[in-house]
Amino acid sequence: MTTPRGLPQSKEALLKSYRTRLKDDVKSMLENFEEIVKLAKGEHDTQLSRMTQCEQDTYEMHVRAANIVRAGESLMKLVSDIKQYLILNDFPSVNEAITQNSKLFRTKQAECDQKLMSLRDDMAADLYDLEEEYYNSIYK
Amino acid sequence: MAYNSNSVNISVEAPIENQIQEITYDGQEIYQAPLTLSESLAKYAQKIDFSRALSEINVKKESGDNSDDSKSDGDSKDAFQSNLWPWDSIRNKLRNAYQEVCVLSDVLTIAKEKRYMVLDPVQQEPIETKPMVQIYARKKALTGAASVLLTGAERLKTSQNELLRNRSTPDFHIELLRLRQNWRLKKVSNSIIGDLSYRTAGSKYAQSGMFEVTKAEEEEKSSSPPSSPMPVPAPAKSNSSLRVTVPSELQGVAYIEVLCQKDQEDLCSANINLLNSAPTTANPDVHWQQKLEAAQNVLFCKELFNQLAKEAVQLQAPIPHMVVGNQIMATVLPGIQLVIGLCHSTSSEKKSSQLTPPPSKSDHDHVLEHSLHQLLREVHHKNTHHPFPHPSSAPLGPSKKRYLAGPMAADRYELLEMTQSETLLEQIIKQAQHFFMRMRTEYVLDTIAKEVKDPLISSHWNTLNSPTQSCVKINISTHGYDAVCRTPLVIHVGEKSLKCICRDGKVMHMSYEPQELRDLIFCHINQHQILAVQALAKTMGWQFLGNSNHLGLGAVEPLGNASSCLLASPIGDRLIAVRCEPQSGVQVSVVHSPRTDFFPSRLVTERKWEHLGGQFREVRLEKMEGRNFLHKMELLMASLTSNS
Repeated sequence: MTTPRGLPQSKEALLKSYRTRLKDDVKSMLENFEEIVKLAKGEHDTQLSRMTQCEQDTYEMHVRAANIVRAGESLMKLVSDIKQYLILNDFPSVNEAITQNSKLFRTKQAECDQKLMSLRDDMAADLYDLEEEYYNSIYK
Repeated sequence: MAYNSNSVNISVEAPIENQIQEITYDGQEIYQAPLTLSESLAKYAQKIDFSRALSEINVKKESGDNSDDSKSDGDSKDAFQSNLWPWDSIRNKLRNAYQEVCVLSDVLTIAKEKRYMVLDPVQQEPIETKPMVQIYARKKALTGAASVLLTGAERLKTSQNELLRNRSTPDFHIELLRLRQNWRLKKVSNSIIGDLSYRTAGSKYAQSGMFEVTKAEEEEKSSSPPSSPMPVPAPAKSNSSLRVTVPSELQGVAYIEVLCQKDQEDLCSANINLLNSAPTTANPDVHWQQKLEAAQNVLFCKELFNQLAKEAVQLQAPIPHMVVGNQIMATVLPGIQLVIGLCHSTSSEKKSSQLTPPPSKSDHDHVLEHSLHQLLREVHHKNTHHPFPHPSSAPLGPSKKRYLAGPMAADRYELLEMTQSETLLEQIIKQAQHFFMRMRTEYVLDTIAKEVKDPLISSHWNTLNSPTQSCVKINISTHGYDAVCRTPLVIHVGEKSLKCICRDGKVMHMSYEPQELRDLIFCHINQHQILAVQALAKTMGWQFLGNSNHLGLGAVEPLGNASSCLLASPIGDRLIAVRCEPQSGVQVSVVHSPRTDFFPSRLVTERKWEHLGGQFREVRLEKMEGRNFLHKMELLMASLTSNS
């Protein structure tokens, strides 16, 4: 969303935070993946015993994988947040909707008015005839 | 050995100069006498608590060599224990250091002796390289990581698929977008808050119409435990992925009931309800649009009632308006009350029980309820739509008239007049009054039309009317003689009075009593008969000798006066006199002059005197042939004319 000049400070900050969230999540995905690959390569000097090292690597890989998943879900959340933000703050489209609605209702109103008018005219004419007939008859 | 280490030196240096005790007037400084060795030892010993360490050592060693020392230390500890605490940490550290040094010295001593303990270099374990195990371990680790990733991806996929599959239920965001297009929403921290009040439309009602928008599933999860007995949330989910929470005071269905009572008996009742087929809004599976509309309706009804109640209290009517609970009673016309009530039902059971009686009560007149709504909406409209041009440096709101008051130099009276405005209650009362006036007028006209058969009274209601003004045109004519004579009347029905414009342009004002109108119509019926006879006489070639609309002769009428006219045949030998009374109807009398046969008598000796006329003889109209009065008169005139 392109930001027009008159955006308030908090909105600016919010948009910035969205951008940083996006970058952070993508970066976290990439970094975690790289780390997993590095771990798979092995070969690092360590003072720990092999088994411990293996366990640690396994655990670290799991955690990093989970981190990637978390980053993915965070991206989904970000998408939904941005959607929400757009829906709530997209005033031009809201204005458009309002204009459209008011136009719709105006045409509806005009239609109704017209129909009511014609109905009234018909009824008035008929009523006149009926009144005439009624008052001129001997049955009252 | 441990004992040896006990003699660790602590070097504490005393300041080189002694402390100054006093400076004499001649500038000589008197120093404090330096502490003696034993004194300073005692001083420092006071600050260090060796007691516990020493006592432990003493217990271990069981040697009485340094019993003197420990004893003295113990004494000093006893004496100064209370002062030790600021030095506690130093003491602890010293003690720990002391212990460690003791242990080190013990170990070293034992190792040096080589009798009990030998120190050997530790052989470094050769690294056993099992590449396959390592690979398997890595593989396992990668599989685990991959499975984590796959389950995560699966979850995302399923959630996406679910959305695709459930096309019938729109996405939360699409719903939100629709909601946004129809209602005002804003985000407050983590929740979405909407506003359904009429404030943007010009309402000044204080109650807020806030509602909260939540995602349906989340809501369900959080609220399912408390509302577990209700099986409704499941269909709610299938309907919409969005849920709105309306404050409890706006839930339910509200409407304004307008009743017209005549001495405690309902004349008519009207129910205001925008949503006549309103669903139960307390039920969560109702669509949010309907729910919000219902809530808005509740808010509107509340505002309307609030406004009316406020006005009812403020207004000073001759018969004060009563506001009791949810009801306002106002007197419209003597004996007729207007009751406006606010009905607000929150639960569905209550609602059904409340909604069912109104239809059975009577046929509603929805006009009053509708106009109530209209009135408040008009107020709203006025609040937002100020007349142009808008001043750049003055408050908005005053009417255009008031802007002009300055330049036009309006006086106090005019200004006061401007400030007066009609309240909603006054307007609705006026409308109700008009409603009754109209009803009464209709009733009077219809009953007269039914009662009076001879001149036909036909009334035509005008199509164009306003809520407080309508108009009826009355035509009095005789069947078959419409062209000869007709008496038109126009009656303007106002709020509390009637205005009748008569045939001759006279304007009559009447009050709300129906009897006055009735009398007026009867009066006009009589006039019509007389005028019709006159007009008929003209067409028949008879001469119209004279008439009087207000005859001073005869019996006194209870209302109005009798009217009469006198007609002469073309050659003047016959006269017809017609007298019309509201009470007894029409009397017709005939006189012949001169008579066709003349017999001279003692009094009237010559025929010429017969021209003066003679005795009138009444015609028995009811025995005559003819459809109606004019027809009979026509026949009468014709027969009298042909005879000559």
